[in-house]
Amino acid sequence: MRFKVICCQVLTWEMNHVLSRSPHSIVTEILPMGLHDLGASMRPHLQERIDAADEEGYDAILLGYALCGRGTEGLRAGKTQLVLPRAHDCIGLLMGSRLRYQDYFDTHPGVYFRSPGWIDFQIQGQTLEPANSAAYYTIGERQTREELIAQYGEDNGNYLFEQFNAFRRRYSGLTYISTGVASEDNFRSLARAEAEKEGWIFEEIEGSLTLLERLVNGEWDAADFLVVPPGATVQGSLGESIVEVI
Amino acid sequence: MAQSKELYEAILNGDAKKAHAVTQAAIEAGTEPMTLISEFMVPAMDEVGRLFEEEEYFVPELLLAGRAMKSAMELLRPLMTASGEKLSARVVIGTVKGDLHDIGKNIVASMLEGSGFEVIDLGADVSAEAFVAAVEERKPQFVCMSALLTVTMPAMKTTIDALTNAGLRNRVKVLVGGAPVTLRYAKEIGADGYSENASGAVGLVRNLLAEA
Repeated sequence: MRFKVICCQVLTWEMNHVLSRSPHSIVTEILPMGLHDLGASMRPHLQERIDAADEEGYDAILLGYALCGRGTEGLRAGKTQLVLPRAHDCIGLLMGSRLRYQDYFDTHPGVYFRSPGWIDFQIQGQTLEPANSAAYYTIGERQTREELIAQYGEDNGNYLFEQFNAFRRRYSGLTYISTGVASEDNFRSLARAEAEKEGWIFEEIEGSLTLLERLVNGEWDAADFLVVPPGATVQGSLGESIVEVI
Repeated sequence: MAQSKELYEAILNGDAKKAHAVTQAAIEAGTEPMTLISEFMVPAMDEVGRLFEEEEYFVPELLLAGRAMKSAMELLRPLMTASGEKLSARVVIGTVKGDLHDIGKNIVASMLEGSGFEVIDLGADVSAEAFVAAVEERKPQFVCMSALLTVTMPAMKTTIDALTNAGLRNRVKVLVGGAPVTLRYAKEIGADGYSENASGAVGLVRNLLAEA
């Protein structure tokens, strides 16, 4: 079979790993991780890439995405079927199961997640500009204290910085999801260092590539994957299925 | 009253110190708290909402206007409590269980407060039981819930169900919002309203009050 994978940058290393073992012929396109910040507005960016791939005659377009804050809701399959794993986000994808993620989330409130991609593409300060960045970057959440003070004055700048960062103080832990990719010792130690710097409890859990493996191997059981037939649309569902077809 | 016009400007410009000082002066000059609220603070927050809708103001400006408004309210609240004056509606607000994100919720809370409503902010990671307890004790007309994650959105439904089970559901209007929340989801879980943003939330509360 001939597949096209359209995948978030955060999954780059894990996707490389499973692609190298897939029996199918696969062309991969990695999209910037910064699209994540757009929330539901990520959709048109993905749709554009799906539509472009639709003309190339693949047997399926495989999405290395999850519901992603509804960023994949409303995606429409053209002539080519779309396949999407059932998960809330990349953390669920890398844990290999949305149920495992939900369990972990419920029993570990206030935890930040890191994975090789989150460390490699975010923490090292690469600027990932989404195609339509204006909406997000005017919000100011990414600005440093100094930048906010320069823009809003000492008093208001400090206040805004506190407001934008207060939620970080409510977090108590950082969980690193190990996925077995190359250079992982480096990612792990950077994650640990971040936790120490913030005074968070560091925990490492073993991830699972089962969802990504089955995605690129063409094993799309309905329990874990949504197959969107030509002309149909993805819809979010906050029951067990996470995504549905309409 | 000329001073009070400065209150409007101070809120619009996010100048908390000035808002405080002007309000203090207005009180000393004998201006009624409700006059300050309805003639200057509410119009200022309305204008802030309008500027936000027109993308002239963004999240920082909303936060700063809210801060300025609060610095004025701090002075007015004790006076109103003492004189027994009541605001037009009481709102209980919080981010749902499991979700620690509260910037959006804080903005909605301050827009509502600045629009003349009494706001009881339960904070973030608020359990269904805590919402129920707040409704029982504080008897609000509105419950506003926020969630930033699709993982935590189902807690909105859990909370509505808990209100129903406690026999309180028909005493309050439940409003929901947050980045991944949609009108469809709001309807699905039986909420009374949904807003995409903070100024919309103010309109929603006003409309529902007008209908009541």
